[in-house]
Amino acid sequence: MKRSGVWASVLALGMAVVGIVGARGQDQLPAPSPIEKELAARANHVTEVTLDKNMLAFAAKFMKDEDDKEARDMIQNLKGVYVREYEFDKENSYTPQELEGLRNYFKTADWSPMVRERSKGEAMGTDVYVKLVNGQMEGLFVLDAEARELSLVLILGPIDADKISKLGGNFGIPKGVMKRAEKKEAGK
Amino acid sequence: MIQDQRKPSSWSMAWVPVGLAAVMTPAILLAAGGAGSSGGFDEVVHSIEQHYHVHATRIPFMGLISFIAGRSTHGGVRGLHVAEIEHFEGPVDGEELTALVQQHAGTGWQRMVRETSRGGVEQSLIYVRPEGDHLGMLIVERDTHEMNIVQLSMNPDKLSDEIDKHHHHADSDADRNEDKDEDKGDKSKDQDGDSD
Repeated sequence: MKRSGVWASVLALGMAVVGIVGARGQDQLPAPSPIEKELAARANHVTEVTLDKNMLAFAAKFMKDEDDKEARDMIQNLKGVYVREYEFDKENSYTPQELEGLRNYFKTADWSPMVRERSKGEAMGTDVYVKLVNGQMEGLFVLDAEARELSLVLILGPIDADKISKLGGNFGIPKGVMKRAEKKEAGK
Repeated sequence: MIQDQRKPSSWSMAWVPVGLAAVMTPAILLAAGGAGSSGGFDEVVHSIEQHYHVHATRIPFMGLISFIAGRSTHGGVRGLHVAEIEHFEGPVDGEELTALVQQHAGTGWQRMVRETSRGGVEQSLIYVRPEGDHLGMLIVERDTHEMNIVQLSMNPDKLSDEIDKHHHHADSDADRNEDKDEDKGDKSKDQDGDSD
């Protein structure tokens, strides 16, 4: 009886730890996908920007311009920003399978596709996924594939859908990609 | 009698070394202690020197320069450390360099930006950490033939205030020049008018 009580406590503790780690994991930025390493090896220019919740909150304190107010309000509540940009010398330096692999790596169960834009017969295009929690946008993932450029933006935390483009130009988040994402989201 | 008055007294001569010591002591302390207290910088430079068999040139009187930078920006920039490695030839594995810097940077640093160009020939690493009301930055930049390592602590608010002040001065100077030009124009018009 005593032994089963100990085991029950250990099990409960284990479940609690798994729960805490799981909850933390959802808010944490992912480790780079193995595909990214392959893309980086092929790319002529690679830019990686990674900011966690603490750094974003700290950085937001310094955005005091009135023009930055909307971006600041959003940034100080974000949980993480993960940006990767790959520029290639040649066209078609990535495969459709790699794009699919990236999509599958970043979007987990909570993510829903919002925009999917493709040119006929081409791997290039834009994908926008959103993480919805109780009807509130809690994350945004954009994969923008152009002929010689591949951009990947992952933003975790509460985001105002109408002000997505305000995040562009901050912390390495490409302006053009965010504008396109907002435009496509609005025209959805 | 007059000649005696011009000669510096032994008392005033004694103040010269005292004054020099007063000026140099904080500079020397900043140069020596500043680098030590910054934690990661010296270790990062040393580890790069050892790993790649290169020699880093520390900018002399960096402590004094840092002190002056801090004063002139009213605390906008402080804790400036610079090391330059010339003739840094050969390939550099980006992952290896990142791991090396990460390992020796010290606590609290977070890699914010990593840029790699031309198959790893050019590398930029920017690490940041909160330092009270300042933002600590550790920058490692490798160009084709050299590498620069810079650490500083900046307060974007104070820095932007300083920049705004300079903008304001520049704008007011420009306005003044415009006014002068206008005045000159008016005068020449008047003169033309008189001659007519």
